[in-house]
Amino acid sequence: MRLSKTLRVGLVLALPIIVYFAIFFIYPLALLFKEAFTTPTGVLALTNFQKMLTDPVLLTTLQNTFYYFAGSLGLEFAVGFGVAVLLYNYIGRFRTLFRTVIFVPLMVSPVVIGLMWVLLLDSQYGPIDYFIRLLGLQPLNFLGSLSLALPSIIVANAWEYSPFVFLIIYAGLQTVPQQLYEAAAVDGMSRLQAFRYVTLPSIRGVMLVAFLLDAIGVLKGFDLIYVITSGGPGYSTYILSFYAYKVAFVYFQTNYAAALSLLFLAIIATFVTIVLKFTPVEEYLGLRRGKE
Amino acid sequence: MKKPSAMAVTVLVLLALVCLFYLFPVYWTLVTSFKFGNEIFTYPPVIFPLRIDLANFFQPSTTAHATNQTAIGSIPWLIDSTVVAISATLVSTFLIAAPAAYSLVRYIRNIWLGRLILFMTMIPEVVFIVPFFLIVAEVNLLNSWWGLALVYVSFAAPFATWLMMGFFNEVPKSVEEAAEIDGLTPYQIFYRISLRLVTPGLIAALILCFISCWNELLYALILTYSPYPTGAETVPLFITSFLITDKSFAWGGLAAAGIFTMLPTIIMGIFAQRYLARGLTLGAVKG
Repeated sequence: MRLSKTLRVGLVLALPIIVYFAIFFIYPLALLFKEAFTTPTGVLALTNFQKMLTDPVLLTTLQNTFYYFAGSLGLEFAVGFGVAVLLYNYIGRFRTLFRTVIFVPLMVSPVVIGLMWVLLLDSQYGPIDYFIRLLGLQPLNFLGSLSLALPSIIVANAWEYSPFVFLIIYAGLQTVPQQLYEAAAVDGMSRLQAFRYVTLPSIRGVMLVAFLLDAIGVLKGFDLIYVITSGGPGYSTYILSFYAYKVAFVYFQTNYAAALSLLFLAIIATFVTIVLKFTPVEEYLGLRRGKE
Repeated sequence: MKKPSAMAVTVLVLLALVCLFYLFPVYWTLVTSFKFGNEIFTYPPVIFPLRIDLANFFQPSTTAHATNQTAIGSIPWLIDSTVVAISATLVSTFLIAAPAAYSLVRYIRNIWLGRLILFMTMIPEVVFIVPFFLIVAEVNLLNSWWGLALVYVSFAAPFATWLMMGFFNEVPKSVEEAAEIDGLTPYQIFYRISLRLVTPGLIAALILCFISCWNELLYALILTYSPYPTGAETVPLFITSFLITDKSFAWGGLAAAGIFTMLPTIIMGIFAQRYLARGLTLGAVKG
């Protein structure tokens, strides 16, 4: 059978990515499965997965991951959305300046962001606990406290990623046709009603995109935890990505780490599949042409 | 022109607070890097330092809290980061992403392949640390530029491909059809016509791949263990290794190093803001 010309050209152009795909996806994935389903001595077994069921640190880690995920996503969405609506309603000369300032965190490396928050939150010399003392309150010692370490990470994370949500929502707001607002005004809607019945429905798509991409960004998070708390105090800021790293390269339990990685991959795949299947987000990412 | 309403004033005040929230951490790091020696360790903390001291950028500090970390001391790490980030970026963008994206948009049009690329941009780095470590160890490239660059291609390539697909999609087919009538082969059309037409996309892909490689921590952590000339530790490791070991000592120098090493990406970012917004949001924001 001869290949059609279209297919032949297409395959030649795609050759590098096919090689890439074999080396960087199929082969590592196969290795990952092999490691996850064997014991350190190379015997085929399910011990790594049985271990998960009785691993108390994994349980804590999963709980933390859930709080971290929900907290970060919620805070980033609230801040990013709020700031986008604010800037959209701002009429003045400094629009570009504000936009640039809000863009800055996206360009700073996560490690440096971690460093910044270590400096800010230090219980002795940091400015935040200093301000709290000025108010006459007890310093909170954010990073040394079992209950405040994870919320601190969430705030640092929101500093890093809320501009990302802002960017998407703000771009979406600008695509809402002005005539719709004029029509709403003619119909006697208040500003709040116009926001509820004109703006929100118009930016549903970009909100979905922001939700999906931000959720993925949050789940990928590793650097801030590593730099700011290194999982501590105790296990209070262990999240899945950090735990898998720790098991692999600090405890050297390669097989168990591979099993944890598979669990993580399964969680991400399930999440992405659900979002792609049940929402029209693909249209807005340009993957599929929707009804327009 | 209306007089500024209460609403407009409120918006302005809130936006000023927003800017304070985003700028204060940067400001604090900058101020820390300008403080000399014990000024960092005073109580109450100095919020507005009256003198600016650049010692943390150039000279090893000589105080009781001495460790000799300075921004200039990060140069070996900067060399590693530059080589690794540039090589991974060029390979991902030109060799892999550009032809693949063109092929997926013009020749092998299949929604499942598009979904696959999208999914691959979403896989967290941590998932593949074990296999990548084994692979890089097997080919004897641990602690080397090429080992790290190779692994960076793993996340840069699908990202650049996805980004370029969006840009190729916007090239009008008629341009290519005209070139075909002129007798150009499909490969010539790709290289001479379409690739030139997506220059903005190419720039966005290059800058964003460069920034993500420049900032990457996890793979560098497991695949390298000494800086240039004996190894390939990158800039993030310069900062974390000192932060983790001497948390309360080298602050001035670390803050200076942080400021110093984030300059290239911030400058690039601010100038290419419009292109980057589109890339960062995987095409959801049209630049």
